[in-house]
Parts: sequence; structure tokens; C-alpha cells
Amino acid sequence: MAPFLTRREALGGAAAALVLASCGGGDPPPDTGPRPGSGAALLGSLLALEHAVAAAYATCEEVLTGDALRNTRAIAAQEREHVTRLQDLIRDLGGDPPAGRSAAEYARTFPRLREPGDALAFAEDLEQRQVRAYLEALTELPDLGLRSAAAEIGAQEGAQLAAVRVLLGLPAAQGPFVTGAL
Amino acid sequence: MAERSDVEILEDLLALENRLISAYEAALRRDAIDVALGETLRDHEQEHARALEQALRHAGRRSPRASVPTPELTAALRSRASFARYALELEAEALAAYTEAAAAIRNSRLRQPLGSIMACEAAHRIALREAVGERTLVD
Repeated sequence: MAPFLTRREALGGAAAALVLASCGGGDPPPDTGPRPGSGAALLGSLLALEHAVAAAYATCEEVLTGDALRNTRAIAAQEREHVTRLQDLIRDLGGDPPAGRSAAEYARTFPRLREPGDALAFAEDLEQRQVRAYLEALTELPDLGLRSAAAEIGAQEGAQLAAVRVLLGLPAAQGPFVTGAL
Repeated sequence: MAERSDVEILEDLLALENRLISAYEAALRRDAIDVALGETLRDHEQEHARALEQALRHAGRRSPRASVPTPELTAALRSRASFARYALELEAEALAAYTEAAAAIRNSRLRQPLGSIMACEAAHRIALREAVGERTLVD
């Protein structure tokens, strides 16, 4: 395997797994709040991931310039909008949205990003995981309104993934089915 | 508006895919799109159409709908810039249709695959935006 791929895997896959592990998914569920099966817990998991990804983009921006910086800033702004939307949805279900962790806590789990390619490889893997998470949520969320919200955010994540791939010099779409097939 | 059945949702998506395929094939014939990009986008849409046809066969499909070139497509084929704008609008229509379908379709096993096509259509819009020289690829 080429050294570049090994490096990308190290910076992307493993680091993104650390981000996922740090986003709070193992925290115990609250004793009160929305009824079981409402979708609030799943939305909480998506929100925790969005918090972590927003923090990751702030770290990525430290080593990016030019078009890459402009685009990742635009993506980070969308991620913050996703955070707000998910928080609203969870509150609408009677839940208490999980708070994000501190920047320092997130930073401890991130890889050391030495150059733009490191940051973009990390971002690509995070976007892959977000797309997959929203598509999985489509299957599990019980309510049409919640699924519509997940689909709309998932579509934006798909565009973000494509934009990061273009910045990496890759084709925007990796194939006809971004994750899975009919 | 009455809720559409799963078959109707899939048929509407297939009709949209057929419009996209026709558009990219016409653009390739008329040199209205970069060949590599046009072939990639057309091939993806053909894969989507094949998958939808397969899903329709399982669901009990109706006769496929014919697709005819629209006046807008004919006008768009005059230049690469005008076709790119046309294709961006058509891809936006497809993205919106898949976003709605992935949430609304009753067969829950189809939601994730429809979502994966949705993400692909989103990527097509980014590819077209790059092709027309946009430097900020997301809104």
C-alpha cells in the first residue's frame, strides 16, 4: 500500500474513530425526558457527533489556507447550523440536548495535523462517518418529520464530503452509491 | 395532496433519472460538457436507474414513462456554461426528490439506499460547481 494511503488511514480512520469515541455516545441515558422510541436518543448521538466534528473543523482550520480554508469554514458554519437544528428537535421531543465537550477535551483526541493534506484527510473521514450516521438514522427514526430533517442534513453532509474530496484532488463522488446500494 | 405509494415514489425517481441520463448523453454528443465529467455523471445516473428498476420489479411496477427532450435542454446545449447551469438545476431537483423520498418511503429497507443516491446527487452538484469555476463549493 502506498505511504500516502497509510498516512491518510492513520490520520483519517483511526483519528475519526477517536472522535467518535470522545463524542459522548457511552454516557448513560437520562432518567427523565422523552419517551423511549421517540428518536431523541438517536438524535442525541447525532448531535454529539456534530459537536465533535465542529471542534475538529476548528482544528483543521489552523493548517489550511486559501480555497481549502474558505470551504472548510463554510462547512463548519453548516455543522453549527446542524447542531442548532438537532438541539431544537430534541427539545421538541421533551429531551435535553447533550452539551458538547470543551475544545481542550476534543483536541486531546485529534491527530496532529501538520499540513493541509492531513486536515483534509481527517475531514474526509469525518464526513464519511456523518453521511453514514444520517443514512442509518433514516432507517431508525420513527417519525416522518424527524426522518425529513435527517435526510436534509444528510444531503448537506453528502455535499460537504464531496467538497472535501474535491479539495483533496479526488472526484467529488466516489461512486454511484455513497454508502451502500439498493 | 394524496400521499404517494412507494411504487409511485420510485417511478417518479426513475423518470427523473431518465431525464438526467438523456441530458448528459445529449451534452456528451454536443460537446456541452467535459467528457470525463459527463461520462461519470451519466454512468452514475444509469446505475441509479438500474437500481430503481430493480426495486420497482420487487414492488410490482407500472409501465415505464417515456422521456422526451425539453425545450430547456435543447437551449442549454448551446454552450458548456449554459448546460452546466441547466444540469445544476436538474441535479438540485433530483437531490430534493431523493431527500423527500428517503424520508417518506414506507419500506424502511429502501430509505438508506435512497439516501446513498441522495448523497451522490449532492456530490454531482459539487462536481458541476467545480466545473463552472466556483471556488466556494458549499453554501
